[in-house]
Amino acid sequence: MTLLVLQHVSKAYGGVPALRGVTLTVSPGEIHALMGENGAGKSTLIKILAGVVAPDSATIRMDGAPVVIDSPRVAHRLGLRFIHQELNVVPTLSVAENILLSQPVPRRLGLFVDWAKLNRLAGEALKTLGITHIDPRAPLAALSLGDQMLVKISSALVSEPGAPARLYVMDEPTAALTREESERLFRVLNEIRRAGNSVLYVSHRLDEVMTLCDRATVLRDGVAIDSGKLADITHNDLVSMMIGRKVQDAYPAPARPAESRELFAAIDLSGPGVGPITLAVKAGEVLGIAGLSGMGQTALLRMILGDTRAKGDMRLDGQPWRPRGPADAWQGGVAYVPAERRSEGLVLSRPIYENITLPHLSRQSRSGLLLLRGLERALSQKLGDGVRLKANTVNQRAVELSGGNQQKVVFAKALNGTPKLLLLNEPTRGVDVGAKFDIYQIIRTMTAKGLGVILVSSDLPELIGMADRIAIMRSGEVKDVVAAQGLGEEALLNLCYGRDAAKVA
Amino acid sequence: MNINLKTNFRRFALAAAALAVTSSAALAASVAVITPYLAQPGTQFYVEAFQGVAKEKGWDVNVIDTQGDVAAVISKIEDMVNQKVDAIVINVDPSQVQAGLEAAKAANIPVFGMDAGANPLLVTNVTSNGYAMAAETSTYVADRIGGKGDVVMFVFDAFPPVQQRGVVASAVFGNFPDIKILDKVTPDVSDGGIADSRAKMEAILAAHPEPGSIAAVWAAWDQPALGALQAIEAAGRQNEGIVITGIDANPQAREEIAKGGNFEASVAQDFSGIGAAAADAVARVLGGETIKQSVIYVPTKLVTVANAAQ
Amino acid sequence: MLKFVLRFGTLIGFAIILVVFTIALPESFLTARNWLNISQQLSMLTVVAAGMTVVMVMGDFDLSVGSMATLAGVVAALLFTLGQPIEVAVGAALLIGLLGGIFNGIMVSVFGILPFVATLATLTMFSGAAFIVSGGKTISGRAIPEAFGAFARTGVDIGGFIVPNLTIVAALVLVVTWVLLEQTPFGRRLYAIGGNIEAAHLSGVRVRRLKIAAFALTGLSAAGAGLLYASRVASANPTQGSGLMLNAIAAVFLGMTMSRQGEPRLLGTLMGVLILGVLDNGLTQMSVDSYVRQVLVGGIILIAVALGSISKTRRR
Repeated sequence: MTLLVLQHVSKAYGGVPALRGVTLTVSPGEIHALMGENGAGKSTLIKILAGVVAPDSATIRMDGAPVVIDSPRVAHRLGLRFIHQELNVVPTLSVAENILLSQPVPRRLGLFVDWAKLNRLAGEALKTLGITHIDPRAPLAALSLGDQMLVKISSALVSEPGAPARLYVMDEPTAALTREESERLFRVLNEIRRAGNSVLYVSHRLDEVMTLCDRATVLRDGVAIDSGKLADITHNDLVSMMIGRKVQDAYPAPARPAESRELFAAIDLSGPGVGPITLAVKAGEVLGIAGLSGMGQTALLRMILGDTRAKGDMRLDGQPWRPRGPADAWQGGVAYVPAERRSEGLVLSRPIYENITLPHLSRQSRSGLLLLRGLERALSQKLGDGVRLKANTVNQRAVELSGGNQQKVVFAKALNGTPKLLLLNEPTRGVDVGAKFDIYQIIRTMTAKGLGVILVSSDLPELIGMADRIAIMRSGEVKDVVAAQGLGEEALLNLCYGRDAAKVA
Repeated sequence: MNINLKTNFRRFALAAAALAVTSSAALAASVAVITPYLAQPGTQFYVEAFQGVAKEKGWDVNVIDTQGDVAAVISKIEDMVNQKVDAIVINVDPSQVQAGLEAAKAANIPVFGMDAGANPLLVTNVTSNGYAMAAETSTYVADRIGGKGDVVMFVFDAFPPVQQRGVVASAVFGNFPDIKILDKVTPDVSDGGIADSRAKMEAILAAHPEPGSIAAVWAAWDQPALGALQAIEAAGRQNEGIVITGIDANPQAREEIAKGGNFEASVAQDFSGIGAAAADAVARVLGGETIKQSVIYVPTKLVTVANAAQ
Repeated sequence: MLKFVLRFGTLIGFAIILVVFTIALPESFLTARNWLNISQQLSMLTVVAAGMTVVMVMGDFDLSVGSMATLAGVVAALLFTLGQPIEVAVGAALLIGLLGGIFNGIMVSVFGILPFVATLATLTMFSGAAFIVSGGKTISGRAIPEAFGAFARTGVDIGGFIVPNLTIVAALVLVVTWVLLEQTPFGRRLYAIGGNIEAAHLSGVRVRRLKIAAFALTGLSAAGAGLLYASRVASANPTQGSGLMLNAIAAVFLGMTMSRQGEPRLLGTLMGVLILGVLDNGLTQMSVDSYVRQVLVGGIILIAVALGSISKTRRR
């Protein structure tokens, strides 16, 4: 017995096929992964399921009966619930109000809001998902992003009693979550599975999919590939299905060992809520920064960038390093790849080449007074090629690119002007597998040239695979620095939590 | 949707074309009246009277209000010159629209002032006679006090049309040997002039406490007269027979005059008369006549208790 | 077809307006004289709108341009009454514009006050200052040097046409602003700020400094427009520039409907200014009532902006 069957789903946009006869089946009590690189057709498929996009052809069955989903209302009535990356929540209201947002408010005497009842109902909704650590009375804005996600899921669970939820469709739910928040989410998903409901889980993170999901459907060029039971295949098998070629390793090997020359050092660096931090990066080295979310990793990078006032000393290339702002930092050879490429990394409305030349425009123009667009385009083309950017021309606006290619533009910008030190904040978040590997290659190429890299990431395998040494931050301080080689994920996680673990270095 | 849009545009274009045909086919003289001050009551009277005459003559009148924007008056004069209207009437200080007047001059289009101010580029300016208005009220005061007594004057020399009123009143009072100018006050007008005039008058009353020591208050416009009245009433000296006069006969002044109290007289400009006279001047020039006077005065009317309610 | 109408709606509308006026006013509309008139009449609005475009590129506003124009005119006129030569008076007025703009910029970028609020406050301040400086009166007549008023009444003979000085000044301001916005790193960075201020900042754009500079330019252009106005009316009074601000913003908005990204572009702004000016000129000549004219102009702005936003929603 299956819950949902999609067959022969085809959709073309202006003659370009996005989906070509796709089949997807989801059983009750299953967490089913939907995978594929950006542009493979995942979002089109989800939109068809949500009744937002009309397919050119499709056969859809729920519980064996054919259905036509021609509006979001129908999808909702069929028990489909969609949880997107962008949360539709009201931060100023309480948790309980958000959970029961689509419900009539319980009232006393038909007049006063019955807060006690409201909070009790919300508490029950949370409890059915095994969530007990969230206070229904807390304002939503006070919650972490992960907890907000849980609230959103609870809200999807309770809404409209007449149409019980059967299948949750989650689009990259962990993209913005820390590891512990993700784990909490996974417990909830397991709870949903145990109750006999299903989840269609869209994610880039292979490790997550491998541990959490039962089966996967991989989309490539609009065609679906059924993975079969995930328990029966390997990580690399799954990657091969996605990118259509065999892969050996997720992380390219270091090109050469780091030199002993110290490139950057911070001594007793402290700022608002962070520090004191002492660390050093050698030329050609990748220093990983691990830690639970909000332990001061971003603040550290911003202090090095000069964006946050910092006390203490910094040295770059033997010289004192005291940037008075990002502008100084870029001039001095420090480049920054921020965590949120859309809100911090790119001017989406502007062409690729304008983004790439933005930090060094004074040098890449005539005396800093007149633009030299030809030079800018040629330079951007070269840098774009270097990071394997896939775009029609460098005149294309950044907004028109896929997430992975957008991130490559951010890298091309960072590599413009031959930086000495690269500050990377979650460089592969929300990036598809192919682009991810390209980005790792870029990092390797740069360190081979003697660049230093500080890599902040919540992706522990990535840290272990890419970094030479890993500094662990807790409560704004660097608590340990360990060698990455031979470090296990479990051990690193324990270090992040500050649990006793064998120190490797 | 598209077809609808198209037919609508076609209709609009046809209508516009038809309008063009009728306006160029008609032989009626076209006259533009351009003012930045149409929202002010006086201006509305001029314009209405002007239009009344124009209607009789069968003119095509275009009234343009630039809403306080003087530079726009120049622009509109230029537009009207470009359109080759037969005459233009303005209601703004001509020295500020010199550029427009020159453009009209170059195109041989006559420009008339309607209470605008004298300027060589205007055919003529139709207005009230400020000297005459001051003479009316000052002689009224002199007659009422029997050519004898102390008079307080409220003047304002910074504004030429008001300054000339003070000159005339001083000359009239100077011709009566028994009339003495007790004080010549220039009130602060930033808040309209009533409040400060009242304060100044209170000080003068305090300095001359004995009844009969002040025979009259002559004000160059209504606001100080109203302020002086308030001061006199507040001091309880309204029965000493102090005579107050103003100029302009604004509604508040008329109200006080109608009560028959100390505020006895003011002078009303004949706004409608100015409008009609301006239209008359335009008609004469369009008829081929040359107007020699650079200013045409329209008679004013003394307002007293007998006619204040009109 | 519909897409085309939505995308180029404003331009199509402008073309229709031109055709209608040409038919309705066969003898006067499409003449060199009329267009020179229009260009001269629009010179002040052009200068203010060019300056307004500079701040709107960053996604900001300057509501104080009208009262700054007034203040600059009044300051120049006051200096004339004190017997100062034209260069000194003009220089001082422009300096006031620059300083007022810098003040706006500091309020917005250093103190982080919303531009709407900050410049609404300075609108009132500059206007009050204009009343103080002028004593609430119109400064005109003999105090204003003949040459100052004559500037706006004369022009340069170019190919048999007397091109008014005001038109030439406005054209120069347009060229300089265009080069600044489209051809210099300064303009590029302003567009980056307008697109994503945080990304621009993190990419090494000195946002604070640039904002101050941009507001300073806007203030300077407003003062320049105020001087053009004072020259045209050979006088200055403490309310004369008040109509400029709304028209300038309207012009930039009209221009934004013409750019593909909905960004303010200088050429778009110029088209916006022309649309407003041509409508005013044509409707006046067609004897359309002043107040009806206002309603029509407002309606046309709304339609243009609505079409623009519909076409953007559709593209999504």
